[in-house]
Amino acid sequence: MRKKKWVSSFTVFALAAVLIAGCTGNKPQESASPSASPSATSSESPSESPSASPAGPKDGGTLTISTFSDMVSVNPIFINDTASGDLDALIFAKLYDLDRNANLAAEPWSLAAELPQVAADNKTYVIKLKPNAKWSDGQPITAEDVKFTFDTIRNPDVGSPAISTLDKIDTITVKDPQTVEIKLKQVYAPFPYSLYISIVPQHILKDVPAKELKAHKFGVDPAQTVTSGPWKWTEWTQGQHFTIEKDPNYWGEKKPHIDKIVYKIYADQNTEVQALMKGDVQMTEAIPLTQIEAVKKQQNLNVILAPGPQYEYIQFNFKDENFPQKVSPFKSQKTRQAIAYALNRQGMVDNVLKGAGALMNSPFLPKSWADPGDKAVNYAYDPEKAKALLAEDGWKPGKDGILEKDGIRFSFELQYNAGNSRREQVSAIVQQNLKDVGIEVIPKGIDFATWIDQNVTPGKFPAILLGWSLSNPDPDAESIFSSKYFPPAGQNSGWYVNKELDELWVKGQQTVDKTERAKIYHEIGEKISIDLPYVFLYQYGLPQGVDASKVKWAEEDRPESSLAYGYLFHIINWWLE
Amino acid sequence: MTEYLIRRLLQSVLVLFLISILTFAIIHAAPGGPTQVFLAPGLSPEAAKVQAHNLGLDQPVPVQYLKWIGGMLQGDLGHTFKNNIPVGDILWPTVKNTIILMASAWILSLIIAIPWGIYNSTREYGFSDHTSNFISYLGFAMPTFWFGIILQQTFALKLDLLPLSDMYDMDKQGDVGNLILHLVLPVTVLSLGFLAGYVKYSRSSMLEVLNQDYVRTARAKGLKERKVVYRHALRNALIPIITILGLDLPILVGGAALTENVFNWPGMGRLFVEMAVAREYSVLMSITLVVSVMVVVGNLLADILYAVVDPRVQYGRKGGAAA
Repeated sequence: MRKKKWVSSFTVFALAAVLIAGCTGNKPQESASPSASPSATSSESPSESPSASPAGPKDGGTLTISTFSDMVSVNPIFINDTASGDLDALIFAKLYDLDRNANLAAEPWSLAAELPQVAADNKTYVIKLKPNAKWSDGQPITAEDVKFTFDTIRNPDVGSPAISTLDKIDTITVKDPQTVEIKLKQVYAPFPYSLYISIVPQHILKDVPAKELKAHKFGVDPAQTVTSGPWKWTEWTQGQHFTIEKDPNYWGEKKPHIDKIVYKIYADQNTEVQALMKGDVQMTEAIPLTQIEAVKKQQNLNVILAPGPQYEYIQFNFKDENFPQKVSPFKSQKTRQAIAYALNRQGMVDNVLKGAGALMNSPFLPKSWADPGDKAVNYAYDPEKAKALLAEDGWKPGKDGILEKDGIRFSFELQYNAGNSRREQVSAIVQQNLKDVGIEVIPKGIDFATWIDQNVTPGKFPAILLGWSLSNPDPDAESIFSSKYFPPAGQNSGWYVNKELDELWVKGQQTVDKTERAKIYHEIGEKISIDLPYVFLYQYGLPQGVDASKVKWAEEDRPESSLAYGYLFHIINWWLE
Repeated sequence: MTEYLIRRLLQSVLVLFLISILTFAIIHAAPGGPTQVFLAPGLSPEAAKVQAHNLGLDQPVPVQYLKWIGGMLQGDLGHTFKNNIPVGDILWPTVKNTIILMASAWILSLIIAIPWGIYNSTREYGFSDHTSNFISYLGFAMPTFWFGIILQQTFALKLDLLPLSDMYDMDKQGDVGNLILHLVLPVTVLSLGFLAGYVKYSRSSMLEVLNQDYVRTARAKGLKERKVVYRHALRNALIPIITILGLDLPILVGGAALTENVFNWPGMGRLFVEMAVAREYSVLMSITLVVSVMVVVGNLLADILYAVVDPRVQYGRKGGAAA
């Protein structure tokens, strides 16, 4: 079972909301097309073609990147936040990396020498390591490190957030210092993505008891963090900045051009954007939507605006006890379809996301190989059709104009996390859209930690507005839609049951051939878009701002919005002018 | 006096102890503990349980409190849950940074406000009085973060004269000249807020005294106006001002989260907000205690200063004039 991550971004938009009034009147961005094609990125081309700087890559310089939250720990076993993930991507070599199309790849900076060899039983993976890979303290990186990393994550006493990604492993065997063999308990197609993982140094951590690993200084104290990537971690001033510098002893054939990278932490997104405009920082990972126009006006700044690996949805609760009248009004498929028709999703993409999004009709990212495309039903905004469907389903207007059926008034609470300005706006649109067809929505913003604890994890809510971050590119989503995964242990928090889909998700996991697998997900996409456990709203992106006069890359190394951490894609090849 | 001080200090310790119990209870009553924030939802419930156990979060709240207070009494502020960093490492630098910022703004505003208020009290409704009134309204009415953004736009971006945010440039950490440049804008914003209040306080406090009989007597016996104002009136007028200053002292460490956010000042106000969202109990408890200590100290200082400015106020004898 693979766990997914809810996106809160509650802090990210907390203060941005204050300033919206001053920044309206922005024209929606025309490029709503998804990210697979490079042209989907915004207006000016974000990438500097090599010809633009005939001198070619230059060595040296300091790149300053702004971030909205401080790192927590860069110990790969415990990473669970974006800032730490960024640092991890820069200072640790991964076993495998991802190419631009989210395929597993053995890049020059990956630890593996070649793609894993999969045995005929589809359960045995053999991984060959590069013989020259070294830790920053000079020790070789071997198969023992790989085995140690996997075994540590799999150990329940450790409490690693990645444990569920590796629970299909049966045994890990070190064949020789450069060869590891992994045997799975069963055929599990999403497994290769579990190999997209940073490796930790066995020689440093092997004597630390499992329960004390989280408290260990490795990953928290730069002096005690042995690294394996192109840069090494040199400084962390908590709440202010962390710094990495080129490792002169880096083992890789390909060396980085940039000498030093500083991550500056900003508590306020407005200040963060101004720092980009003033030149205090050269790159910002998420510009608030309201500020995009201001940034674009400045000549040297590029905004890379494309949908990323995350989507938002409205989830229905099917369990009667979560409603005041002890009846879920969402149990009929027709009613759910009516709600989908009633929502102006394109309007949300155009007006709230300023075009930095794409409609979603299934849980698979548009243009990914699992995307069912036209096979999934696209519920275009059609309030009349919604009304007709609701009437067919037996809903009749009551005294106050709100629909009623069997004495139940169609009114429900829509929960979201307070402080997220995007969700605040979208919930207001949902309220208005559904009011137009006779359904009363009561939007309610709740503090993120409280909400997840009291409502989302235990599955106690009428309906929620939330997002999924798909940091793992595999389309498998059994653990959020299958009836095997009810709360609190599972993430099917709306108590949705569809036996046919349950079986298809399992089939998807057990089919290794990609073409055959894609067919299964297309079928799931079609069926789920008809049955609607969620109303899938849109895929959205975090606009990346870059000072193009300073930060340079060749076309093939440009950032890739569709990947998690794609804003650092191939940064080893970037250079500074 | 000494006896009085000892009694007050003992009281203060009791007050701080009660505050710690109360805040501990309130913080732990907030739904969604630390494991919800930094472990879930990426973590399976079983792993979350393991982590909660490793961190001692599965013990009853009173037991957790006893552990915490036990460490506290030995000078151990505890560690963060999310990455096991000693709380002191995070807390003390921000306390220092906040004091630098707030004390600069506070002292600057006092230097301007008190003489100005006194001057205005002697020339009621004059040009200077109207000017200070106008500035006071501005200071009261303008949200500090908004004013901060305007200053940033003007002086940091358009004119490019001053730094936009932070305490130091990245390559000039620790440089005092650089620090002063970075202080200009946030101190301007904060002082305007303080100034508004203090000019009004000192003006009205002076006016009240200037209408007293003894001031009339002083004038009647032919004293120069300057002597009347500065020797006779001012000393009495200072008492209410000292009260206000004593009450305001905790601001020095409490910081101003919004201003700190806008200017990206690594201070305690900002830390508190971050840590509240992350449910870092030990950090929150330590911040609350530091601020509480300042409240107690501020009140105590004010009481002592009363006795200094006003000989009528004497502690420890005849039952004490103030408590």
